[in-house]
Amino acid sequence: MTMGALKSATAMVPPLVLALALGGCATKPPASDADAVADYEQTNDPIEPTNRVFYKIDDALDTYTLKPIAQGYVYITPEPVRTGIHNLLSNLSSPVLFANDVAQAHPRHAGDTFMRFLINSTVGVVGVFDVAKSMGYKAHGTDFGVTLGVWGVGEGPYLYLPFLGPGSPRSVTGFAADQALDPFTWVPHGYELKTMNWARFGMTAIDTRSRLLGDLDKIKATALDPYASIRSLYRQHVQSQVDEAKQPEKLTPPSWQAP
Amino acid sequence: MTMWIGRRDLLLTGAALVLAAAIGASPAFAEDAEASAFLKTFAEQMAAVVNGPGDTNAKGQALTPLIDTNVDVATIARFCLGRFWNGASPAQQARYVTVFHKVMLNNIRGHLGEYQGVSFDMTGTRPQGDDVVVGTIINRPNQPPANVGWVVSRGTGSPKVVDVVAEGASLRLQQRDDYASYLRQHGNNIDALITALERQVSGG
Repeated sequence: MTMGALKSATAMVPPLVLALALGGCATKPPASDADAVADYEQTNDPIEPTNRVFYKIDDALDTYTLKPIAQGYVYITPEPVRTGIHNLLSNLSSPVLFANDVAQAHPRHAGDTFMRFLINSTVGVVGVFDVAKSMGYKAHGTDFGVTLGVWGVGEGPYLYLPFLGPGSPRSVTGFAADQALDPFTWVPHGYELKTMNWARFGMTAIDTRSRLLGDLDKIKATALDPYASIRSLYRQHVQSQVDEAKQPEKLTPPSWQAP
Repeated sequence: MTMWIGRRDLLLTGAALVLAAAIGASPAFAEDAEASAFLKTFAEQMAAVVNGPGDTNAKGQALTPLIDTNVDVATIARFCLGRFWNGASPAQQARYVTVFHKVMLNNIRGHLGEYQGVSFDMTGTRPQGDDVVVGTIINRPNQPPANVGWVVSRGTGSPKVVDVVAEGASLRLQQRDDYASYLRQHGNNIDALITALERQVSGG
């Protein structure tokens, strides 16, 4: 759920994590309690006390800033406009998606992404309308964290990061790689382009949060320990993405070719 | 002539072998029609209540009997307590299953009750151990479509739902992790967990 995505903030994160990590480590249960040790290993959250601090900060920031903004956005913006903005943002991330499709050796997905970018950028008016979907080129998503998983890189311990939310060393590395793969990162720093990049990151955060409004808030309301529930859901979701990406591609004939 | 009969026999044997292989292999590829039909009926009944008239409360009331007939609540309750189930006394187990039932009804009502215009598409079945996962795509207004798998077990004799997998995440596993974390922070005290759940159900 790498939302937020504020570039300069991410640069501050590693030293901050390191500093707090040294301050707060989970105590490993004694070896005599085999069940508790098994739980500890399976949870793989050695800096849990630190992560919980970040979770609390992030939760408060969310409650008082991002969530009300997302609610306001849903309230004032009609659904078709929101879908258009979502499509536009998805279209902008096509180059990164294409690179990951190739890196995962998924030629069909890469072909879909290429055609979607081509069709939606032109016929779809810079990506606002998802015309390609009706032509049989369906949307999919992946990121470099998943690509690393496909390559056999382990996830590593759980991390909860400000602005980025739940993650792992693998997902953070993947996030940095995705930024590096993004052509918009490397455009010359003219004033308008810089503004556009910031607007894009801000809009992505609001769009992502607005699409999670119902679900994330219900999880927080019904869990006894929302931190542990989000950790569980995040881990399972990422694992299922990696498992799916490891599968050989299914045949995806365009709709006009289907029997 | 002998030659011809020989060839025909060979052909027949070959055909029989291919057929046998096809039949033998088919369970792995075939759709689980029974599980699929069971889930389709259940999902249609739920969608009818959710999309029907009435407020959230009335819908919740109408969903309860559907859930009780089609969901194996006792099995899920036991799973969610994990390794702590065996450590619990029979009285604690009974108290826990009772409150768990209420928690689950509350959660499902909360998730479904406020929607209108929910629809679903069936996407096929796949085996998972002794159980079957029936895949669906749930479409809700103003929300991206969600991939939801329903784990159907015949452990009690008739098909029943024992887990829901949303976007790759098993909700009973999430619940178990939630409880395990709560227990770890409360000295593995099962009574503390039950009390917290009772408080949650009574809205406190």
